[in-house]
This record gives sequence, C-alpha cells and structure tokens, in this order.
Amino acid sequence: MNKKLPALLLISVFVVATCGLIYELIAGTLASYLLGDSVTQFSTIIGVYLFSMGIGSWISKYFEKNILSWFIQIEILVGLVGGFSSTVLFLVFESIASFRIVLYGFVSLTGILVGLEIPLLMRILKDRYEFKDLVSKVFTFDYIGALLASLIFPLLLIPHLGLVKTAYMFGMLNVAVALIVCLSFKKEIRASKYLKSASMVSIILLLAGFVYADKITSFSESQTYSDTIIYSKSTPYQRIILTKKNKVLRLFLNGNLQFSSDDEYRYHEALVHPGLQALPFAKHVLVMGGGDGLAVREILKYSNIDSVTLVDLDKGMTSLFQSNKILLALNKNALLSPKVKVINADAFSWIKAQHKKFDFIVIDFPDPSNYAVGKLYTNAFYNLVKGILAPKGLMVVQSTSPYVAPKSFWTVNKTLESVGLKTIPYHNYVPSFGEWGYIMATDPDNIYKKPQQYLPGLRFVSKESLDLMLFFPKDMAKVETDVNKLNNQILVKYFEDEWANVL
Amino acid sequence: MNSCYKKIRSTKYSIKGTLQGPNAKAGHILRDKIKLPPPNNTRKVKALIIGSGISGLSAGRWLKNNGETDFEILELENHIGGNSYFGTNKVSSYPLGAHYITIANNDDNLLIDFLQEINVITHFEKELPYYNDYYLTFDPEERLLINGEWQEGLVPDFGVPVTDKEQIKRFLQEVDQLKNTKGNDGKFLFNIPLSSSSTDPNYRKLDKISFHSYLEEKDYDSKYLLWYLNYACKDDYGQKIDKISAWAGLHYFASRRGKAANAEQNAILTWPEGNGWIMKQLVKQLKDHIKTSVLCYGLKSMANGDILASIFNTHTNTTAEIIAEKIILCAPQFVNNRLLGNFNRNIDYKAFNYSPWLIANITINELPESKGINLCWDNVAYNTLSVGYVNSAQQHLKLSEDKKVITYYLPLCDFEPAVARLAAYARSYEQWLDIVVPELEMIHPGITDAIENIDFWVWGHGMIAPTRDFVWSENLEKAKAPIDNKIFFAHSDLSGVSIFEEAFHQGINAAKQVLNVTS
Repeated sequence: MNKKLPALLLISVFVVATCGLIYELIAGTLASYLLGDSVTQFSTIIGVYLFSMGIGSWISKYFEKNILSWFIQIEILVGLVGGFSSTVLFLVFESIASFRIVLYGFVSLTGILVGLEIPLLMRILKDRYEFKDLVSKVFTFDYIGALLASLIFPLLLIPHLGLVKTAYMFGMLNVAVALIVCLSFKKEIRASKYLKSASMVSIILLLAGFVYADKITSFSESQTYSDTIIYSKSTPYQRIILTKKNKVLRLFLNGNLQFSSDDEYRYHEALVHPGLQALPFAKHVLVMGGGDGLAVREILKYSNIDSVTLVDLDKGMTSLFQSNKILLALNKNALLSPKVKVINADAFSWIKAQHKKFDFIVIDFPDPSNYAVGKLYTNAFYNLVKGILAPKGLMVVQSTSPYVAPKSFWTVNKTLESVGLKTIPYHNYVPSFGEWGYIMATDPDNIYKKPQQYLPGLRFVSKESLDLMLFFPKDMAKVETDVNKLNNQILVKYFEDEWANVL
Repeated sequence: MNSCYKKIRSTKYSIKGTLQGPNAKAGHILRDKIKLPPPNNTRKVKALIIGSGISGLSAGRWLKNNGETDFEILELENHIGGNSYFGTNKVSSYPLGAHYITIANNDDNLLIDFLQEINVITHFEKELPYYNDYYLTFDPEERLLINGEWQEGLVPDFGVPVTDKEQIKRFLQEVDQLKNTKGNDGKFLFNIPLSSSSTDPNYRKLDKISFHSYLEEKDYDSKYLLWYLNYACKDDYGQKIDKISAWAGLHYFASRRGKAANAEQNAILTWPEGNGWIMKQLVKQLKDHIKTSVLCYGLKSMANGDILASIFNTHTNTTAEIIAEKIILCAPQFVNNRLLGNFNRNIDYKAFNYSPWLIANITINELPESKGINLCWDNVAYNTLSVGYVNSAQQHLKLSEDKKVITYYLPLCDFEPAVARLAAYARSYEQWLDIVVPELEMIHPGITDAIENIDFWVWGHGMIAPTRDFVWSENLEKAKAPIDNKIFFAHSDLSGVSIFEEAFHQGINAAKQVLNVTS
C-alpha cells in the first residue's frame, strides 16, 4: 500500500467538492442573468442539482468492477461537462425555444456525475482505512470544499474571472484530479494509458476554452438586445451598437435607441422639412449632433443648399456612417457628399469660435439625461446659436417627448424664448420612440409661413400632417417651467424625474 | 521650507509632484535683519504700494481710475496676486488659494461697479444685476458625502435624525432672520465690508465670546449641526468654532444677501483658476506699475515729510531707494511689523492670528464611481479633517474630460497657529502624502491608483482668523489708522476676515485717503 495515497485522495475530495458546488453556483447565476428572478432560479437549480446528486449516488451501486477507472472517467466527464456548461448555455440562449430544458439538462447531468464521486471514492478507500476514520475524513473535506467554493465564488471568481472562465478553470481542476489519480494508481488500473491521454486532451480543450472565453461573452452581449448584433464599437465617448432583424436596422448608443430604420424617416422628415421647406433661399445649413447623417440626407434633397456643416463630437460615429455599406445605403451617402463638411468637435467650444452665419440650424443632440449634455440645452448655449443664425433663418431643436416628459419639452421652449427667439413647437408619432417633440425658433420679427407644398417623395411630412403636428392636445399642453441655465440645470432634473416613471 | 521646484517621487506611493509655498527665504531676510548691500540708485514716486495682493491691486486700480498714475506696486514674490495666485498644468488651471466670490450685496456699489467693469455683471434686468452665465458656478454645485452616500447640498440631510434636522432648521432660520435685521443705527447687523455693519453694542458684544459658547448658550448640540458650523468656520477662517468669535461665525451666514436677476441668493462665481481670474483682470490695467521680486526692507521718514523706502531685488541681488510722498502698506501686519521700526505704531501684533493652510492640487485620471450625486464643483465629506475639494474643471464647457485637477483644502487648525506653522514647514512631501492620500482614499475608495500627480502648496500665514475680541477690538481700530497721514494701511487682516470683498474695499479706502491728502 502506497502511504502517499490518503493525502492525495483527500485533497482530491476537497477539490472535487469545491468544483461540485462551483458548477451549481454557476448554473444558478447564469440562470438569474438570462432568465431573471434570481430567487426562483437559485432555488430550483439547487433542488434539481441535489436531486440529481441523489440519482448519481443511487446508481453508484451498479458499478461493480474497475471502480478506480470509473472514478477517473467520471472526473474527466465532470470536467468537460461542467467546464463547457457556461459557454454552451450562453450560446444556446438565443436560438433555443426551451432554454430551460438545456439548462436543467446540464444541471442534472453534472449533478449525477458529481453524485457518483463520493460513493465511488469511499468504496475505493474502504479497504485501506478504518471505516469511521474514512467516513469522517471524506465528509469533512467535502464540506470544507463546499465552504471554500461558496466564499471564493462571489468574492474572487465572478469579479475577476467571470462565469465562463470560472467554469473552464474548475473543469480543468476536475480533470487534473483525474490525471493525478491516474498517474498515482497506474499500476492498479487497466487502460491507464488511454485514461491519461483522455485527461490530457480534455485539459487542452478546456484550456483553449479558457483562453478564448472573451470572444464567447461578446456574443452574449446580444442577450440584452432582442435582435442580432452586427456591429459594436467603443469610442472614447460612447458604445455604438448596430442590430439587425430581418431588414430592420437599429442603432443604440450606450444602450439607448437612436433610430430604427423602418420608422426613422418619420423623425428625420419632421426634424428637417417643416423648417427647410419654408426657406427657399437657404444656402448654408448647420447640423449639430446627428452624426448618423440621416438629417443631412433629408437636407441634401434641396437643390438650393450649397453647404452643410455637421458638428458631432464622436469621430467613431461619423466615420462609421461614412464607411459602412449598410449605413451608407440608409443615409444615401449623405456624409460623403461634396457639399458636406464633417467636423468632430465639442459643440459648445466650436460655436464660441464661429462667426459665419447659417440659414438653417438643426440641433439633434442626445436627450438631456446628464449635466454634461444638459449644458447644450441652456440659455447660454442657445444665445450662442442665435448669434450664428442668419437674420431670416430658422433653427430647430429635438426636444424629447412632450407626452412622457412635458416639463422637459416645455422647458426647452421657455429657454429658447428667454434668449429672445420666437418658438414654433410641434410633435409627431415615431413608433420606435413614441410621441416626439421638436421646436423651431426664429427672430420674433420673422413670420413663419407654413409650406403649401413639399418636395416630392416625402413619406410623412405634408401640408396636412404639419397642421396635425402643430396642434398640442390637452395631455401634451404647455406647462409653466423655468429657464434652463448653466448654474441651475433644471432640465436635467425634470428629465430624470419624468423618464423615471417610464423606465 | 523649500520654495524652489523639486520633482519628488514618493517611495511608498507612486505619486510625483512638488512642495511649494510663498517665498520664505525672502521673507526671512526681513525677519532676520540680514545685512544687505548699500543701494545703488534712488528714484521718486508719488505713491508707493507695497504688496500686490487684492488690496494692493485694488488700491492701484482706484488711483488709476481717479487720474493718479504716478505710483508703483512692489511685490516680494516673483508672481503677483497674494492669496489669489493660481497654477496651470496640461490638464487645467487651478487655484492655489482663494477660489470663489459670492454675488455682491446690492448695496455694495463699489463692488458692483468693479464687477461690471470686468464683465462679471453683464447688464441689469429689472434693476437687478445679471451675472455672466459663464462665471456663475455650473450645476451641479455642491455635494456632501454623509452616511455612505453623496447628497446634494452641504447642509447635512441624508441619514440625519429628525431631531438634528430640526436643530439645523432652527439655526438656519435664526441666521436668516439676523441677515435682515438692522441695528439701532439703521445699518445691517452683518454686512460686507465688515466696517459697514451696525455698531449696535447688543450685537457687537457677540465678538467677545466664542462661536462655540454662543451655540452652547442657545442649546445647539446636534453633532451634525456642529460639524456643519465647524466646517463653515474652517472654510472661511481656517479655525474651528472654539477659536472664532460668535460675531464672525454668524457673519459667515448672515452677511450675504445679494440678489441677482439670473441666480439665487448667495450664488457663487468661480473660474478654473479661482480668484486668480479676478486678479488677472485687475492686473490688466496695472501691468506697467507692478514690480515683482522686490522686497521692501525698511521705511524711514525724511526731513521734508516724504518716506524713504529701501528695496531689495531678489533677482538681481541689488538694493535701491524709492522716495515716496505716500505709502500704502498692503502686506499682512506681521510683515509691516518689520518695516515700521522707525515709526510709532503702538499696536499688539500678537493679537493677529493667521491660520496656516495646505492646498493640494491633485491630477487624477478618472474619479472612481461613487454612490449618489456625481462630481460637483464643491465636494465635502462629513467628519474629515479637510474642507473638501473643488473641481477646477467645473466651468469648462467641453462635454467630456476624464482627467481632472481637483483642489483639496486642508486648514491646519489642530494646534496653535504658530505650532501648526512650524510643523507644516518641517513636513516633507512624503509626510504630506501620508496626511492627504488616506483621506482621499476614504472618500473615494480606489482613487490612489488614479492619482497621477499631487502638487502641494503650504500657506504658513494663509489668512487672518477672526478670533475672540479681535474684529471690533480697539487694537484693530488703532491698526487701521494711518501714520502721520503718510503711511496708510490696506489688507484683509485689518478687517479681520480674509475674503475678496474686504481686501477690495481696504484697497479703495486707502487709495481714497491718499488722494484726499494729495489734493
């Protein structure tokens, strides 16, 4: 009898117990992430796992001969199944209708294999030890292993490795145990060479999985988007994600929907045409924000336009919309037109340095959800815009939803008025956003003449639809608000309050 | 203590930076009466202003605006501005001392005129001043880390028990009432400049007891309220409530009632370089009159009544003489003490207590996420030694900037000023890191790794403290008096409170006296 054995095997018990609990925790955590409702998920997973362990323990009686070889094979299997579990579950989540069947399948399989481990191990050791000693030692190490697993899982493994890498790591540990047992006992096992090579191969496969784990998780980002992600990029300013489902393309910036290709024309036509159609002599147009080029696409439909200047902070965004084939088809190469000049700069700083005047100014900034963007909705900023607006010119500001956020919408209106402009607010329904608002502004001495005729080919804006847009029903009627200022950004506060009710 | 640049890399932390402060070497030439070479030239000037802090610059402005151009302003340091000095690095400009002013009280016409001159007030609407939108502190203005979260505003509220909140409310109501109360002479009890406050003895007597005693008498014992009041005294006066007079403590809350067309009462104006911006505006008109690196080390009366000033240029190491008809001493009194040996000025210089300060300008890559309100202009943590830090990039217009310079203010008020001062001079760069970094780490766990650089600035005699029986004492009254109608005094320490407005008015006051006597 080899005196080394007990320590080695007890350590194996320890490792095996740790691994067993880790797989259970991984399954529970994954289920919570993907299915939500963590209480139910953890509860049912623990139940199914323990039940499967019971099945494993029960069928252990059917193993008569070559128990040591079986133990080693079971270890290898546990390692492979447990190790690859996270990956398979992540990948499968999207496409399979009954994700739960696969999930509980994995949990049961792992549970059965783990349930076999302790009984088989006890039988292997039964002749080498006093029974009372054996029982005490094995269970002690089993439970200590479980404690270790439950502590390191939330404190070390998830924050530093993540679910997928953790699974691979413990898979490798399981197979390592198999290999060590195999090597130590090689004289007592048949086909030890086969088992040894099987272990090595498994470890290599698991190692490969560990190394490439990141590629797998990036696939899984799609779990938060209902469509398939076809492009994602992190610029210094934001995370840009493009999804596609059938023919519909959607753009998300930091998780917020910017447009959906099936109904964006409603937004962009409403943003541009009520204003620009009323300025037949307009030559120079400024667009601030709107790095997707869709507003520019509408603007370029007018032959009288000589130049369009687009100022968008994010070069990553504008270059994407100047190069990607699908997006170029959508914005009709707008940003590549010789009439268009793209400037990547901060709007506030850029505008302070401007002297040239523009006939039409489109302000298409992200919603005022934080103090940084909020500066672009203040009286100080609008004063600067007024300074570069031609005397007979018009400007238009996207002003969020007058239905969901009336105080926010009317604050933009009040702020524009406070710098001495006359405002023409209007709204329309964009299915992806809901009711959305826009506000045109011009010098009080100018008279805004509703266009009698529009360019051919427009799908939404027309003489009649503008009348509908200009009318505000009672549930979106004007409310009294304050002016949004740099030293008191009430707009951000209203916006946060009003949208908190919805999101 | 070193005033020259030394890039020191700390060994325990991987943080580098400098340890600087006012030029002690030059100052000590004065103190230690070091023998200097005989003067090699003499020149004449009508008015000589000694000191280019706000008092001196304000005096210069008044002289110039009233047609007097024959004057010089001498400055000991190689830079102008006194406590309004500022620094600049690749990331931002940042203050080294004074960093904001409040909007003016509407009866302070001299200040309002000046603010209009420099376009801080752009115009008037309905008779109220409209302050420049770019100089009013951008939202969000201030936050307090208390009970684990950052709350909006500095008055303790989050997680504060109801009884404490009621005491805080009672106190704020009381000072609000005092704010609008006038004394038996028809003047506001507490006003800016201090000299325009009521002389009503019923309230003046509050100067004789400490703020702490006053609060005890009025049954204010909430630890949250007392922390807030200690914070206020440390912030403006550099000392705690047991050292500050009750009159001064109340003045902090009850003296500001400025109304603006486009801001709330007590709104704050600030710039990335702090009050350095205002100083720059003053300097624009006075550039040709200011001489830096010039130390005045002696004053003597001449037979014809003029004053002979002996000056030493610390750059060229040469001395010279200036004969002036009038002198305005705009240096702190402990400096004037060394200059007036030949004159009779029977005042007790020891009654002047100056609070030492440490300012740390910290360049960080990115502030760690925190629970509650995001980064504001003024960020204070409950129950810490410092009075918090200021975000020097608050007034920047750019949308996104991760790297920042934050300016951290630590009043050295745990010991007597003289002791704290000596300890401060003796401290090394590493030792300052040991004081500052742990507090920052407590406020923002994980910040140590994001710190790129810390530059320390030690103000040995940072600001005058309005201690008990000082502001309205006979001693201070005597100190304000000119000598022989030839030597005039202007400095915030003669008001007893070190704020921009006091220095501003002191300078004008002295210049007026000079012009009166001249004409």
